[in-house]
Amino acid sequence: MAGVGFRRWAQALCRGNGSGISALVSGCRAASGVSKGSLPGPYPTTPEEKAAAAKKYNMTVEDYEPYPNKGEGYGDYPNLPERSQHERDPWYQWDHPDLRRNWGEPIHWDFDMYIRNRVDTSPSPVSWSSMCKQLFGFIGFMLFMFYLGEKFPSYQPVAAKQYPYNDLYLEKGGDPEKEPEEVKHYEI
Amino acid sequence: MADYQEAPLATRPKTLDPNEYFSVSLEQRRSEQSRAALRANLKRQYQMQLNNPLRRELIEDPALTRWVYARTHTYPHFNATSKTSLLGAMFGVAPLFILYYVFKTDRV
Repeated sequence: MAGVGFRRWAQALCRGNGSGISALVSGCRAASGVSKGSLPGPYPTTPEEKAAAAKKYNMTVEDYEPYPNKGEGYGDYPNLPERSQHERDPWYQWDHPDLRRNWGEPIHWDFDMYIRNRVDTSPSPVSWSSMCKQLFGFIGFMLFMFYLGEKFPSYQPVAAKQYPYNDLYLEKGGDPEKEPEEVKHYEI
Repeated sequence: MADYQEAPLATRPKTLDPNEYFSVSLEQRRSEQSRAALRANLKRQYQMQLNNPLRRELIEDPALTRWVYARTHTYPHFNATSKTSLLGAMFGVAPLFILYYVFKTDRV
């Protein structure tokens, strides 16, 4: 049985009109798995291509908007609004409640950034410009004050330490026979 | 409910949005309807697969497959424009030379 199959394969190989590797690889593929039409493709140019792409991604034609074709590698993937999963309704019955997403819904390009453990785009209590001004204003002020402190130091007046016995002449190994010079640390 | 103030970090719920009731055109309602129809169809497909007692395998999500495929197969749609070349040079080529120089010159 196996011998028959092998002989048939060898005959098909000899009869085939391909050359090299293409002669060994079969011209047909299995029907299981995703079909090529349901995978992302190149940037759509005509309205028919746009409609087909919208259908492929399960979106309406008005909602579907591809990324601009600037050669950044997006192809026909839809440009969904940059909203994090934090902003989605927490009370709606999602199919995947931790991700706040339904099965089959088009996934944002940066979905793994917008999950609930990561980047949050929900509105803040204070505007962005106000937050930036407060933070960088404080940091800038502190840096400036530290710089001034370095430039103009201010501390208690100090002087060099004054030692007795003519600056410790004998303790520092001076000759006991010789007379040391007088060191006076005061003025009257 | 007229003076409802949402919490500082929350967005306003859709049912309390005044635009929902006062300034809605027919086309908006129609597009919302088509969106809801798509969503209902997907929900139905998922529930049919989920509650099928004879199912043994995982429910695969074609949107997830497409997302993974799109993120990994960016090269066929890549074009060398000024912006992409600049990014490639900044992140790929320059660190190579800068780090080589730094490691070679700054020795302990």
